[in-house]
This record gives sequence, C-alpha cells and structure tokens, in this order.
Amino acid sequence: MVDPKDHRRSAHVLDRRRLLAGLGATAVGGSLAGTARSETMHHSVADAPVANAASPLDSVPHLGVHQAGVVNARPANGMVASFDVLARDADELEALFRTLTARIAFLTVGGPVPVLDPKLPPADSGLLGPVVRPDNLTITLSLGASLFDDRPWLAPFKPKHLERMMRFPNDALDADLCHGDLSIQICANTQDTTIHALRDIIKASSRQMILKWKQEGNVPVITPGPDGRAESARNFLGFRDGSANPDSSDGAEMDRVVWVGQEEGEPAWAAGGSYQVVRIIRNFVERWDRTPFGEQERIMGRTKLTGAPLDRREGSEFDVPDYTRDPDGKATPMDAHIRLANARDEASKANIILRRPFNYSNGVTRSGQLDQGLLFICYQADLQRGFVTVQRKLNGEPLEEYIKPVGGGFFFTLPGIRDAADYVGSSLIAAARGA
Amino acid sequence: MRISGLIGASVLTLILSSGAFAQEASLDLVEPIAEYKIYVTEKVAKLVEDTTAFTAAVKAGEVDKAKALFAPTRLSYEAIEPIAELFSDLDVSIDSRADDYEKAEADPEFPGFHRIEYGLWEKNSTEGLAPVADKLLADVKELEGRIASLTFPPEKVVGGAAVLMEEVAATKISGEEDRYSHTDLWDFRGNFDGARKIVELVRPLIADKEADFLKTVDANFDTVDTTLLKYKDGEGYVTYDKLTEDDRKVLAAAVNTLAEDLSTLRGKLGLD
Repeated sequence: MVDPKDHRRSAHVLDRRRLLAGLGATAVGGSLAGTARSETMHHSVADAPVANAASPLDSVPHLGVHQAGVVNARPANGMVASFDVLARDADELEALFRTLTARIAFLTVGGPVPVLDPKLPPADSGLLGPVVRPDNLTITLSLGASLFDDRPWLAPFKPKHLERMMRFPNDALDADLCHGDLSIQICANTQDTTIHALRDIIKASSRQMILKWKQEGNVPVITPGPDGRAESARNFLGFRDGSANPDSSDGAEMDRVVWVGQEEGEPAWAAGGSYQVVRIIRNFVERWDRTPFGEQERIMGRTKLTGAPLDRREGSEFDVPDYTRDPDGKATPMDAHIRLANARDEASKANIILRRPFNYSNGVTRSGQLDQGLLFICYQADLQRGFVTVQRKLNGEPLEEYIKPVGGGFFFTLPGIRDAADYVGSSLIAAARGA
Repeated sequence: MRISGLIGASVLTLILSSGAFAQEASLDLVEPIAEYKIYVTEKVAKLVEDTTAFTAAVKAGEVDKAKALFAPTRLSYEAIEPIAELFSDLDVSIDSRADDYEKAEADPEFPGFHRIEYGLWEKNSTEGLAPVADKLLADVKELEGRIASLTFPPEKVVGGAAVLMEEVAATKISGEEDRYSHTDLWDFRGNFDGARKIVELVRPLIADKEADFLKTVDANFDTVDTTLLKYKDGEGYVTYDKLTEDDRKVLAAAVNTLAEDLSTLRGKLGLD
C-alpha cells in the first residue's frame, strides 16, 4: 500500500535539513566552523511524530531484509509484550513463527475481518471496526536468551552476545516485568491499533505461548513550527530524548550501528537481525519537579527548553557538544547524562545505539506517587559494545536519584521476512534443523 | 436412557421453544442435558454430604480434620461451577474471595469456604468460624434445592465447558484461589473434570463433523491430565507451590487453548 503522505514526509525532512544546516552554520561560524559537527542531517527514529499528519492508511512494509519497527520513524504509540514460548522442538517453533508471520501480514496490511456465524465467537475483537487499516503498524519479534538456554536443540544457535539481562547497580528489577522467551514490539499511530494487534496475536497463539508482561507507552506528537522542522519528542522528565540518535535514513550507518552482519562469532542465520534492549525505567517525577531547573539541566547536560547542549545554549538540540573545549566540565559537568553516555570522541563511536523509546504512565504507587517513566527500547549490532557499555558508563550518574529501572530484558530481533513465501525466524529454524 | 425422573418436562419445553434456527441441534441435546443434570445432581449431593462433615469439624474445633476435608469438599463445587454460578447470590456467599471485599480478610462480610480457609491456615484456629460454617452449610443445601428445580438452559450447559476454562485462565492459574491452603491443584482437577464431562456428553453430536476439533481438545485435556498426574498425592494433590514454572506454563497454555476452542462449542451445536 502506498502512503500518499510519504512524499510530504520526505519533503519535510529535506526542508528540515536545509533549514537546520543553515542555522547551524550561523550559530557556529568563525573559527569553530572547521571543527564543529552538526547532527542536522539526521533523520532520527526519535523525531516526534508530526501532529495531524498521521493517517489510518499509513503503512510500513512488513517484508524486507530487516524487520520493520527498528529504523523507521517511531509513531505515537508503542508497546512491548513479552511471552513464554511452549515449543519443544523445531517443528513447534516453526509453527509459532508461521502463526505470527500470518498475523503480521494481515495486521500491517489491513483488510476486512472475516465474518463468522454469529453463534460463534467473532474472529476479530472488532476494536478497529469491520475493516482493519494499517495505521502505521509495525510488529517486531525478538528472542530472549531463555528460549535458547532452555532448549538443548536450539542452544548452539544462540546469538553470540545474547544473554539474560543482568542487574545494573541502580536497578530494582521486578521479576514480573523482566525477561521472556520472545518479545513483541508493537507500534502504531493509535493505541487502539496496538491493542488490537496484541489481542489478535494472543488469540492466534494461545496454544503456543503465554503472555508474561507488557508495557505500553506513547510519545507526544508535535505541531511543527512555521519552518516545518521536526523535533525530538520529550520524555517525562521534560527533556528532549533522542537528539543524538544516529541517522536512521543512512543505510551504511544502520549496517554499522544496528544490524548484525557477518561479525566474528555471530551465527550466519542471525545476519540482518539486531540486539534489542528493553528497559522499563520508572521516573520519580514528583521529586524531579522539585529539583532546581539549573540542576536538572546539569544532570542531563542539555538545556531544558530547547535541548541545546550546555556549551552552546543558544543553539538547538542538533548541535553537537564539543567536550574537547570543556575538559573540566565547566559547561557540561563530567557526570552529566549525555556526556557519560556519549563522550563524542572516536572511541565512543563504537558504542552508538539506536534509541526508540516511549513514555509510559501507569497509575499510582502505594506511596501515592505517579508511576511514570520511560519504556526504553534500543537496537544495536553488538549488545556488549552498545547498551551494556553505555549503561556501565552511566552507572552512578546523578540522574540515578530520579530514575529506577524496574523491568525489561535483552532480546535478539530476528532478521526480516524476505518475501511473502518466507516467515520470520526461518533462518534460525533452518540452522536448527542443520539444513 | 436415564432421562425420566431427573429431567423435567420444562426442559423439553424450553429447548423446543428456544428459537427457530437451532431446533434440530437442540432436540439432539435433550439426552446430553439430562445426563448432565444427573451429573450435577450427584455432585451437589456429594457437596452437601462433604460440607456437612467439613463444617461439623470446624464447629467442633478440629483444625486438622477440617484442613484435611477442605480441598476434597470443594472438588464437587468446582466441577459444577457453571451451574452453581447461575445463582450468583449463592456463589458469592459460598465461594467469594477476600479481594471481593473492601477490607479483604478483615471484612466482616467475607464469607464461605475461603473465610474458613483463612481461619484454618492463617490463624490455625476455628475461632469465630461457627456461624460462617452454619451459613456455608445452609447455602450449600439451598444450592442443592435450587438445582433440583432448575431447568438447565442448554447454552449454559454447553457453554459451561468454556466457562470453567475461563475461570482457571483468569483467576486460578496464578494460585490465587486457595491462597491460604495452596490446594489449588484440587480445584483445577474439579474444573477440568467438569469441563471434560460436558465435552463427553455432547461428543456424539459432533464426532463426525468436528473430528479435528475434538482431537485438539482431547490432546489438551490429556496434557492437563499428564501434568497434574505428576503432582498427585494420595487421593489429592500436593500444594500449588510445588508446581514448577515449566509445568505452570504448560497448564496455562492448555487452559488458554481449551478456553479458545471450547468457546466455539455452543456455536458448533447450533446454540445461540
């Protein structure tokens, strides 16, 4: 299905690039011009969805070398659901993968729902009416370490870096919100579409897997200014999140940062996949809102109003901080979140990850505080070099006073569904069968 | 046929008048529903008998004896829950849980089996339970009386197989039903037996047309049986906490699948 908005959206990006390139040149200027880098050319998956631009007819192709839902722009709603898988052998696992592929093929393309004898339960929940429309839906399947570890016939094929999510020092992990054999990331323009997809999948796969945990989230849509520029969405701490994401429209960059290729030690079947990290990170928002504005900015390392780095406050979120000119942390504290996460030096380039988070708001804690936070999702070609390394750099950061990771897991995102005859996970099944 | 006696003329009347497009199937259902009424009647008679002994032990202050009788007494109730639940006032007073009350266990309105279970296991005492026991026995006898005069609605009987699985799937597989005694596996047994009984009764009506369906359903019931068998202890079962995580997953998937499949049973029999 062709999205008539694609053209408009591309035009948006071009406008934005031209515009920001111009701004960057003005702001930097002079002697800095030679050294300054700018992220203005980037097309980030974390750009805020554009208000009033979403259509139920938006669709993301579900076939390709890679699964959808990773490098395409994040729509306004997302969720991660984690399941335990029952499959005892390769045939049963293939059956599950084929079931899920069939549901993905229907849900992401859309069409009329089957009409059954009214004496029977309906085939479809009906949440979206008699005709399902794609609504920008993506469904992304990833496998947890336990799926391999608990099955001797599958264990030899585990991706090199896949392991059970470890506990980091600031974590307070809730066993009911962690790990799982299979994660499903579901993203769409509207929440109804993500919930419809989840209910459809649960109904279709009840004999094959059982739901373990789920977290939904969303990101604010932003009305572009008169200049039409897209901005990064804000998280529940009120800061822009995703400004420094790699350019997801740059295929070579994505191959380097996100997709597993023929890396040493990775099984051949895994090529085209990626490592997915999910973290449910509670934010202590009441306490954050009682923290001085200046301190909030120093903790994050960005200005709160625009997202500009602290060493160029008049700039934009897309300006790149120059820590070589701030070796003592006078402008950006050495332990500021963005400085610890990415030192902006040659060595840190190896640790770049693609973040694709959503904000969540669940309810009220027993202490009478808001249960809100970040459904952090990121993708990388090397789990150790990516998230694990970045998180280790962040351990002990001042932001920890305000955040508490409580759940999530490490997963391996399967390679794409190549064509209509293929199914997700086919390369793994072929490998497990020794084909 | 064992129809006469237990099946009232009203059953036939109701079935025959239950709509134009399901008549043929409904006539075929006369015998299975009569059989089911026999089954339920026997179960509820056993429930009254067992509850009499159970409540007598509670009133006599015999904590250990009461504990031993708790799970086996409930077995009969769990097997006929789809019918028992037709009388929602009695279901509440016989089988509701602390969660159903604002003050939970401390709520003076918290009644029935689980109120007694709470006293026996959490307090290791029968103190204050005598009036609860009296009420429970009276309610169970009332249930028996109401069932005797009940015209069994065919769609409730056939739909009951799925209802039993929905119960397990929604609020039992987690072990929250018998949270003080952890005798949940006994309840599972009762629920599965009750559901399978219904499938067995209508099997002849769909055996030819729905062979694959029945094969799948049988396989899932067998999975449940095989899994529960591992936890058999004498006449009953070990406590829920002994259930391994792997077996809990196997049971959960079987229950979800049975709930999905059995939800089509009414339609397959032409019932609206």
